[in-house]
Amino acid sequence: MDFPMLSLLILVPVIAAAVVMLLPKERTELHLPVALVLSLLPVGLGGVLFARFESVAGFQFVEQAPLIERWGVSWHLGIDGVALPLILLTTILIPISIAASTSIAKNAQLFLVMVLMLEAGLIGVFSALDLIVFFVFFEAILIPMYFIIGIWGSENRIYAAIKFFLYTAFGSALMLVGIIALSVMQQNKTGVSSFDYTVLLGLEIPPATQAWLFAVFGIAFAIKVPMFPFHTWLPDAHVQAPTAGSVLLAGVMLKLGTYGFLRFNLPLFPDAAVRFAPVVATLAVIGIVYGAAVAIVQTDLKKLVAYSSVSHLGFIMLGIVALTQNGLDGGVIQMVNHGLTTGALFLLVGMLYERRHTKLIADFGGLQKTMPIFAGVFLFSTFASIGLPGLNGFVGEFLVLIGSYATLPGFAVVATAGVVLAAVYLLWAYERVFTGVADKPENQDVPDLNLRETLIFVPIIALTLVLGLYPKVLLNRIEPSTAGIIDRIEATTDYVEPTFVIGEPSE
Amino acid sequence: MSDLIWSAIAPELVLVILSGLILVFGVWKKPPLRSMAVLVGAGLVATWAAWGLQLSRLQDIVDAGSFGALAFNDMVITDGTAVIARLILMVILTLAVALAWPMLDEIGQRSAEALVLMFLATAGFMLLAAAANLVMAFIGLEVGSISLYVLAAVARKSRLADEAAMKYFLLGSFASAVFIYGVALLYAGSGSVSIDALRSFSGRVIVSPGVLYVSMAMLVVGVLFKVTAAPFHAWAPDVYQGSAAGVVGFMAAAAKVGGFVALVRIVGITYIRFAADWRPALAAIAALSIILGTLLALSQTDFRRMLAYSGIAHAGFILVGVAAGRSANEAILFYLAVYTVQLVTAFGIAAIVSGPTSSGSPFSAYKGLASRSPFLAAGLATTMLGMSGMPITSGFIGKLGVFRAAWEKGLEWLVVVALVASVAAFFFYLRVIVDMYMRDPDEETSDVAPEPAVAGRVAIAVAVVVTVLFGLYPSPLLDLIRNVVS
Repeated sequence: MDFPMLSLLILVPVIAAAVVMLLPKERTELHLPVALVLSLLPVGLGGVLFARFESVAGFQFVEQAPLIERWGVSWHLGIDGVALPLILLTTILIPISIAASTSIAKNAQLFLVMVLMLEAGLIGVFSALDLIVFFVFFEAILIPMYFIIGIWGSENRIYAAIKFFLYTAFGSALMLVGIIALSVMQQNKTGVSSFDYTVLLGLEIPPATQAWLFAVFGIAFAIKVPMFPFHTWLPDAHVQAPTAGSVLLAGVMLKLGTYGFLRFNLPLFPDAAVRFAPVVATLAVIGIVYGAAVAIVQTDLKKLVAYSSVSHLGFIMLGIVALTQNGLDGGVIQMVNHGLTTGALFLLVGMLYERRHTKLIADFGGLQKTMPIFAGVFLFSTFASIGLPGLNGFVGEFLVLIGSYATLPGFAVVATAGVVLAAVYLLWAYERVFTGVADKPENQDVPDLNLRETLIFVPIIALTLVLGLYPKVLLNRIEPSTAGIIDRIEATTDYVEPTFVIGEPSE
Repeated sequence: MSDLIWSAIAPELVLVILSGLILVFGVWKKPPLRSMAVLVGAGLVATWAAWGLQLSRLQDIVDAGSFGALAFNDMVITDGTAVIARLILMVILTLAVALAWPMLDEIGQRSAEALVLMFLATAGFMLLAAAANLVMAFIGLEVGSISLYVLAAVARKSRLADEAAMKYFLLGSFASAVFIYGVALLYAGSGSVSIDALRSFSGRVIVSPGVLYVSMAMLVVGVLFKVTAAPFHAWAPDVYQGSAAGVVGFMAAAAKVGGFVALVRIVGITYIRFAADWRPALAAIAALSIILGTLLALSQTDFRRMLAYSGIAHAGFILVGVAAGRSANEAILFYLAVYTVQLVTAFGIAAIVSGPTSSGSPFSAYKGLASRSPFLAAGLATTMLGMSGMPITSGFIGKLGVFRAAWEKGLEWLVVVALVASVAAFFFYLRVIVDMYMRDPDEETSDVAPEPAVAGRVAIAVAVVVTVLFGLYPSPLLDLIRNVVS
């Protein structure tokens, strides 16, 4: 076994959290800088992962040690091209969220501990190859997020925190049923219980069983995504959460759902995946259009961004259930893109709120003149989110659309409307907030981004450009793994990926 | 009399001798609690040593017994289950004594009585868990139960406590009567009161086959009452709310350990041939307990009542394992171990927050606790998450174990019911966390910062560490249980 990189990556944030917790309580000026510096360590480790990651199918950086031998639970970690980008995204967004949390006044120490514990949990989820270990991390991240929303959120925070927790816990309970069922199936087949993902892949599950297992896993992940009609917790959680909470929620936690579909639903239940693809695609497309339509009519800027997530995540789901190479690639890369752009938008809304203590679009106007840098960053993020060619969003959406057009043409056509609607709600919001004359006196001298805030956006903007101009840097690493998923589906079902392929977008 | 194997009952012996010493010392000399602490501490160490001796001699005891591991004229069975049950009871006794110290301090002269009652109750439930004969089981049950009836009123301060003790006594005696009647009917049906009375049972009955079914029902009901399973639960909320705060966690936990181990033996050994009959019945009782306990816990305004109702649901979760049969025994013991530790801790923290002799602990007392007493809030939050079965706590592993066993045995519907209820249960467990962390304290409590004494602090810290440790890495405890039980 190689050096346990992934365990280290999970452990470092835990240690960082412990260090922050042990800092003297009254030295408040120390807490945030220490947490920020420590949170950069995982970024470095992530860089090592990225550099040493080979563009081949299968899991890398694998490590395995028994945990509960009798039940076949083991500390089995490993990542492939689907998990790698999400781990990198996590490590990058954490220091950004910490740096953006200077306005947390009440018990900032505990807040930083929670953020760091959240990071450990997220990295754990994306690298777990044992279903129980996965489930433990999947559930455990609820705790820090619950505290983040519930303690540091705005007025209605307790309601939002409990709703968020219960919704997700309900889905998880269903998934646990499926996990237990899988292990018992394995035991009946071989006499030895196992929760190991790579072992369970060898199960030949009858189609009827696949159907309900797909459903219980699917609902758990659909709640997390969230897919229509399981999305109602999302606006509450986002609007009430503090900025860092929203950034991490939208940036990373929602991807747990889409990741779960890719990691579990497709490879473990290929037959059901093929059969239910149109159902999931229908919900995805409803989500795209519905999320966009609701975003248009929002009067609250944060809610607008929240609903835009419903729409964007619909795209990702459509790409995944398209069951084509392009669709899956687009889905994965769009997960990263959405994390970056929506993260940026939530950061911007948060900074605006810190200055003006309102999030209502109608309270703003003409901000472009007083805060040009801010407006510029906002416009850039808007363009990235809309999918302007040259920026990252374009690559993802384009791949999703051509990928889904190959197998689900009708859905792809409707989904295209979502692209147009995204332009409507975001640009219209930009127009109302930033252009025109600042007729309200309180908008006339809003301070622009300071150095710290500007620096926060530098990595996001850089990555947006890199992924927009040279997506191959990530796609290279994603493709072998997504191809593996398609191969598996083709090998175990009658499904054949259509050969109709438009080809790569030119670079 | 070759089967007087004293090491088979070593921990009970030490506890009884210790009780005698405390009683004599306490009544004659009326010593300050501080000097009593030395005796109690030494006694607990001796009990642990006795247990360790028993564990190390386990194989010898099994070999020396007249039939397998039986001793004392086939009255006491020494098997892994009994040894683990003793371990659990000793853990909760030790934690409970540490957490009850402020109460013992406050009740002054009667502290010796309270300690003796705790030790005798422990010894009684240990014997119940190790009984190979149902008359022995009854004696153990009664020694344990009667000690608890008195313990309920030991603070003798409020009418609620008197009411609780009276209610507990009346209903508890009724349940004991049902149990002993069941023993009598078993004797009528089979000519034996041994735990394996029906092992060589040929099917020829003395009275009528119905007698055996009635005896089974009565024995099971008698025990289900003690472990607060629905519909035999009605006394629990009043008793756990009203009884002296310092010891109520011990009362709830000890009865559950003894009762469940006895239940596992009764259905798993005595009536194993009737498995097809009791399995659906226990599954139904499990489902009823889970649903009723969870639903009623949702609407409570008092923390201790909430814990009582959640205890009913937990009894249901454990019954899921009992209904699954023998393969779940290890999971049941693990569940009992981790849950009772959490139970003692939660009640212990309630006693610190609301006062060591209080009756009841309204939720309003917990508002803003995180800013007033961060240590207590963190301890209680971990305990609540553990009880809710949240992953990364031992509670999750416990639930996973019993659910997995039940699924294997075809009780899928029960697992689904239990999991849905576990989600609903988050609501009331989280409510405490919401009060502690997310709300500001009420005006009258805003400058009250309850702090545990040193012993209580250590006990809470140990419980928290154990809860998280066995959640992340349960193997040591699971392996211990498995090695000893098999």
